[in-house]
Amino acid sequence: MSEQQTIIDQPLASPPVSWSRQVARRTLARPLARFGIIWISIVAFCAIFAPLLANSHPIAIKMQGEGWTSPLLRHLTPADITLLVLGIVGVPILFLARWWSLSTRFLVVMGITLPTLILSLIFVRTPGTVVYEWYRQAEADGRVEQVIRTPIPFSPSDRLRDHPNPDPPYPWPPSREHWLGTDINGQDIASNMIHACRIAMAVGFISTGIAVVIGVIVGGLMGYFSGLADLLGMRLVEIFASIPTIYLLLTFVAYYPRNIYIIMAIIGATSWVGDARFVRAEFLKLRNQDFVQAAVAAGLPLPRVLFRHILPNAVAPLLVSVSFGVAGAIMAESTLSFLGLGLVDEASWGRLLDMARGEGGGFRWWIATFPGMAIFLTVLSYNFIGEALRDALDPKLYGGKA
Amino acid sequence: MSEQSKPLLDVRNLAIAFQTDSGMIRPVDDVSFNIYPGQTLSLVGESGCGKSISAMSILRLLPSPPATYPSGQILFEDEDLLCADESRMQKIRGSRIAMIFQEPMTSLNPVFTVGEQIIEAITLHQHVNSRQARDIAAQALADVGIADPLRRLADYPHQISGGMRQRVMIAMALSCRPRLLIADEPTTALDVTIQAQILELLRKLQEETNMAILLITHDLGVVAENSDAVAVMYAGKIVEYAPVEEIFDRPQHPYTQGLLASVPKLGQDVERLHTIEGTVPPPSNFPTGCRFHPRCPSMQGDPQCRNVIPNLRENLPGHWCACHHAENYPTAPATHPTVAHTRQYS
Repeated sequence: MSEQQTIIDQPLASPPVSWSRQVARRTLARPLARFGIIWISIVAFCAIFAPLLANSHPIAIKMQGEGWTSPLLRHLTPADITLLVLGIVGVPILFLARWWSLSTRFLVVMGITLPTLILSLIFVRTPGTVVYEWYRQAEADGRVEQVIRTPIPFSPSDRLRDHPNPDPPYPWPPSREHWLGTDINGQDIASNMIHACRIAMAVGFISTGIAVVIGVIVGGLMGYFSGLADLLGMRLVEIFASIPTIYLLLTFVAYYPRNIYIIMAIIGATSWVGDARFVRAEFLKLRNQDFVQAAVAAGLPLPRVLFRHILPNAVAPLLVSVSFGVAGAIMAESTLSFLGLGLVDEASWGRLLDMARGEGGGFRWWIATFPGMAIFLTVLSYNFIGEALRDALDPKLYGGKA
Repeated sequence: MSEQSKPLLDVRNLAIAFQTDSGMIRPVDDVSFNIYPGQTLSLVGESGCGKSISAMSILRLLPSPPATYPSGQILFEDEDLLCADESRMQKIRGSRIAMIFQEPMTSLNPVFTVGEQIIEAITLHQHVNSRQARDIAAQALADVGIADPLRRLADYPHQISGGMRQRVMIAMALSCRPRLLIADEPTTALDVTIQAQILELLRKLQEETNMAILLITHDLGVVAENSDAVAVMYAGKIVEYAPVEEIFDRPQHPYTQGLLASVPKLGQDVERLHTIEGTVPPPSNFPTGCRFHPRCPSMQGDPQCRNVIPNLRENLPGHWCACHHAENYPTAPATHPTVAHTRQYS
């Protein structure tokens, strides 16, 4: 009798734990996944706070006979401001405001970030011409009373024009002044690496986001309707699966001006086929489940059935594919930049790698090693996370969903 | 409850066809029955006889294509559901006609809490704010006998037992006060004590709200306990349609007689249980004439059974049967069969 009592009492004793939380817990239990998340967090931190970490403009400066001013704040772009607001206000809300549900938190953060972006695009005027050397020269001339600088006092595109004839010539190897050395233009590698985190994160998430949206819609419709829709959809998937991303990118940059958003769109538009296949398989499996029938029988409209009732159940394999997709997108962008066909002015790990090859066949180890390590660690991290997620979602390893 | 009231649901000569790779099949053909407010009609038959798809067609839940309706009408409150468009059906589903499914383990979405799922259905069909919806949901859970409903609303389906899940399904189905409840084998997946509780609950809720229930089952015990009228289906057709007492006391069709003889009885020691020889034919290969004739013990080589399809005709007052060999089987053409009987529970 007492044994039966405990069985009945058990569900009451344990507080409701959603399946997603269980999966998160199981994923985080893996040391490699934890390493991946830590590294990605570092990259995200650098991406958000890049202007505060590496900048030729001092955070605050007091010139002789003048008050304190902040050149750094004056030179922030609307994108910088939006990211800083996201980092300082948004991320704490996302992680700490437990009294709201996750979707509410997400909406609140979006509600803060989007108006910030729009307002700063309208009101913030960033000075067009930037003279990075001005502060260093003023300091050398003794006109500066006090100055607070960022940890790395160089902007990524600061070409050290206060050294017209550098000796030895660029690139400089790592030194006390330039921790990771400079590239062939005198630009600081450490600063470039920090600012390049932005491109890496943006390319990874935006292109994967595009791929996921297309993949979910196409795969969902294929799987739910099956029949003719499935047949046509699968042919579409096969057509897109046969387009090589890198060649399409190369062809594109050969004819059109280089634009990071178009590069992201191309990567996204050619990498959704895997997502579509996963979603299709899940929808095919789920559409005959009783709870889907029950949702239809309760009078729910089709989009609600598809995206609110089926999709959350199909998210599991999609998450795995997303984490590998992000890694793939970063690789694609790095490849393009390494081939010298990426962005011209933006800092990017792939572009730095490209400069490691010297004209005379020389090899600049510091230009190759640090960006190479960054690409390697980031791609590896996403793969670790994807693998841990895949195992955490595997019911065979964890005895069913319960 | 009155015998004179109009039927709530009137299914007339319903046929359902599926386009398959091997041609057109008609798993349901010429099925007619009706249900009055407050009445429970049991649709009985072996697996594959077409009872579930008949029920699904009422809510138009069959994927179409491949399903088509070559003939018939499904009149619900004088509206032909076979002619209603999808948006009209969405308004009817869940609010006027609700359905509960066989498998409570999989009928609830595993990623949402019980409360989220009930509240979703409520806010869809009723003009209430989220707080009111929550109260209605909690009341619906209390109505189906779930203790501490406010806390159960926050539970995920995997945290509650099978019987409790079926109660949740019933609560969800009844939260919008439907006029008709379609229960597709609601107790098959539950153990016997829970079965009795769930059926008792349905009966109690029916008395309170005067809703009609279409009960689909192959369990004759469930039929005997819970229905007012019974329609026995075989191979896509109704072979006998009568008040529940009539079916059990005076079964007319040889198939019904066979089914009743196959039920094991307590206290009766028999070597082997009675079986009906043979199997249900697949819809692609229904026999000519009476579809039961290859398995029928009373046919005795009658060519009429092999060649003439028997219609459902009233051979006893209020008792409809489709068999050439039934007592008093009328030769008159069939009229629309109806059984308005409701029984009195003591």
